Amino acid sequence: MTKWIRWSGIAGFLAFVALVTAFWMMAAGPLLKMAIEKYGSEAAGAQVNVADISFGLNPLSITISGVQVTDKDAPMENMMSFDTAIANLEPFPLLLGKAIIPDVMLTGFALGTARKRSGALTRSTSKNTQSDIEDDALDITEKESSIKILPSADEILDREKLLTVERGEALELAFKQHQVATEDAVGNLPTEETIKGYEQQLNAILNGKFKSLDDFKQRKREFDTLKSQFKKDKAAIAKAKNAIKDGKSDLKQKWSKLKASPSEDLSNLKGKYSLDAVGTSNLAALIFGEDAGGYAKTALGYYEKARPFLVDEEAEEAKKELKEKRLEGRFVHFDTDRPMPDFWIKTLDFSMALPAMATDESGGKESLGQVVVKVTDITHQQDIINAPTRILANGKNLKNIKALTITGELDHRQSAGKDSFNLEVDSWNIRNLKMGLAGLKMVSSYTDVQASAVFSNNQMNVVGNGLFKSAVFDSKKRTTLAKEMVLALKNVNQFTLDVTAKGELTSPKVNLSSNLDGQLKAAFNQRIDQKQTELETKLKNKLNNKLMSYSGNYQEQLKGLNLTEGSLVDKTKALEKLAETEISSYENQLKAEVKAKQNAEKARLKKKRDAEKARIKAKADKKIKEQEQKLKDQFKKLF
Amino acid sequence: MLSLLAKFLKVLNSDASPSQISLGFAFALFVGLTPFFSLHNFFILLFVCVIRVNLSAFLLASAVLALLAFAIDPLSISIGESLLSNPDLIQTWTQLYQSDVWRGFKFNHTLLLGSIALSLILFIPTLIITRIMISLYRNRLMAWFEKLKISKLLKASKFYKVYEKLEA
Repeated sequence: MTKWIRWSGIAGFLAFVALVTAFWMMAAGPLLKMAIEKYGSEAAGAQVNVADISFGLNPLSITISGVQVTDKDAPMENMMSFDTAIANLEPFPLLLGKAIIPDVMLTGFALGTARKRSGALTRSTSKNTQSDIEDDALDITEKESSIKILPSADEILDREKLLTVERGEALELAFKQHQVATEDAVGNLPTEETIKGYEQQLNAILNGKFKSLDDFKQRKREFDTLKSQFKKDKAAIAKAKNAIKDGKSDLKQKWSKLKASPSEDLSNLKGKYSLDAVGTSNLAALIFGEDAGGYAKTALGYYEKARPFLVDEEAEEAKKELKEKRLEGRFVHFDTDRPMPDFWIKTLDFSMALPAMATDESGGKESLGQVVVKVTDITHQQDIINAPTRILANGKNLKNIKALTITGELDHRQSAGKDSFNLEVDSWNIRNLKMGLAGLKMVSSYTDVQASAVFSNNQMNVVGNGLFKSAVFDSKKRTTLAKEMVLALKNVNQFTLDVTAKGELTSPKVNLSSNLDGQLKAAFNQRIDQKQTELETKLKNKLNNKLMSYSGNYQEQLKGLNLTEGSLVDKTKALEKLAETEISSYENQLKAEVKAKQNAEKARLKKKRDAEKARIKAKADKKIKEQEQKLKDQFKKLF
Repeated sequence: MLSLLAKFLKVLNSDASPSQISLGFAFALFVGLTPFFSLHNFFILLFVCVIRVNLSAFLLASAVLALLAFAIDPLSISIGESLLSNPDLIQTWTQLYQSDVWRGFKFNHTLLLGSIALSLILFIPTLIITRIMISLYRNRLMAWFEKLKISKLLKASKFYKVYEKLEA
């Protein structure tokens, strides 16, 4: 039997195994560090730094120290960091490439700590960097705008596409086009000097007698040429008139539209930027100031950032598809109480400080205490362990809070995962909470908060209720609104606040209601009306200014066109007068001469006849008088 | 390729025990037909090192079978699928699945289970058939083969020089 045993083979095999083990013991730490930094950075979108990784053999454990996960939106800050993480490992699954970690203890865990060096990843191309900068700028603009209650008039005018500007620019463009057309047409017209020249030429042609037939013919040719020129000039004037007429009509139409634009713009902007349209998120800001909104935003931001680390559904799906394509077979899983995913932290414990808030009357900020967090079943293969990731956080050494409990469940066993969280705060003594209206602050209040949030399929459903007891308000401002608010709130001892946020994860529809609303409605309305009136007035003024900037040009342009049109009328009249002039023929001139002679003879004969008639008549009259006298004398003699 | 063929001929023509050679071929079934980085292969390698198996025959057959595995994998997968989904065996598999050790062997993987089953089925036949064939070759064919004209031509070729080199 022993002849079948190869003793040297045993030694060789053992030596080989020892060599491989030693290699892994030495190389595993650095390799794991590299892997965490590389793949962690890819997942986080920013640098993930690990100071050191070491292994312990009895019990098998791994110690990771100095971990910093950069906030990709703020490279000089860590999204989270911890000093050390000590994890015990199950040895046998590790041999199969499965990291089953019964418990992990984190120490020095913190969120949002400052970094010494930027943790931004180096971009491959400048194009990317530029687009990222633009995206960042857009994000910042969006964030800033979302915080403000109402944007300023300038911001609105910069941001919005205004009819006033659009139509004003159209008017300017139309004027330029018409100006070119008019200038072309006017360029072809006769000048004043030209018309005077025509007059002189006409006078030269028409004055004086034709000396001969040739003289007549010469003048006739010149006259015809002049007439032909008149015809051309008249056509040019008609064309110019039409160009000016069209231009005036078009400009008047555009001007009429432009004049109506400011009121249309104002109407549009009023609809868009009224408080109702902005959404009740502004109301939340009004009541709770920017601090409370900021905390909610931060929490949502952390959820979005942490999600890829906790669950990786897309990667799982892609992995499955890849495996199906390759003929590599598949794993068949059976019912078991010992599931074995590739990676599984059974329990993770850590504690962290709560955010700082005002805890005394001086307004100084201090951390509200600590929260001890326990996370169970962290894995990206929840379907294998058939359990969701659960989070339980309890307040510890709390200041001004009686009790704080946060529970969460991230269930991704099925393709449309569901993450749900619950928050319960018992008797939280809120102090000096700045409110966003009239310098108002909540001096003190005992508050119970219950909230639940469900995120599924990129949709969110958040419901929160707050009961504010023994609330005391004050305002340093002495405006009518502030006084009215404080007076109204003095009678309020207790009020509730209900918040819901539903819809897309990135743009939820927020609804906020409170029984405080009724009491504050009048004050709010007054304030809102005042703000909106101010905004409307500013907008109206600015829109009118814009209109006036176009108006100046328009009036000048219209004046210029009218002048040109007037000069055209004068020129037309002058030309028409010139054109009415006719030249007579040489034959007519001869006929006229004969006729003139005949007329002169006729006149002479007539004159002669008239003189003879007068002489005969005088003679006859004299004779009659003499006979009358004779008869008178004879008659006298009779008596 | 020539070197591999020459090695094969060297093994066949050597004084090595036919049983050790055939055992090398038989163990090569596991390494060649199943996924290499599996826990069972660790033990196969241990056996091959400890037991006097002809290493040349084992390595040569492993390489050849690994190439053949590309064509055989679909058959192995279907065997594994039918075994793992067999209602009569579900209870057995479920019991094995409760053990970290068995799961370490990835018995619940269709390709791995199918290829191991295929290797186990072929182990004894391969052992016997190769044993017989080696004896037949050495007793009858080796002398006849060397007398063939083609053998003489081969001896004058580059291939034979490789073979000679190995012999030396």
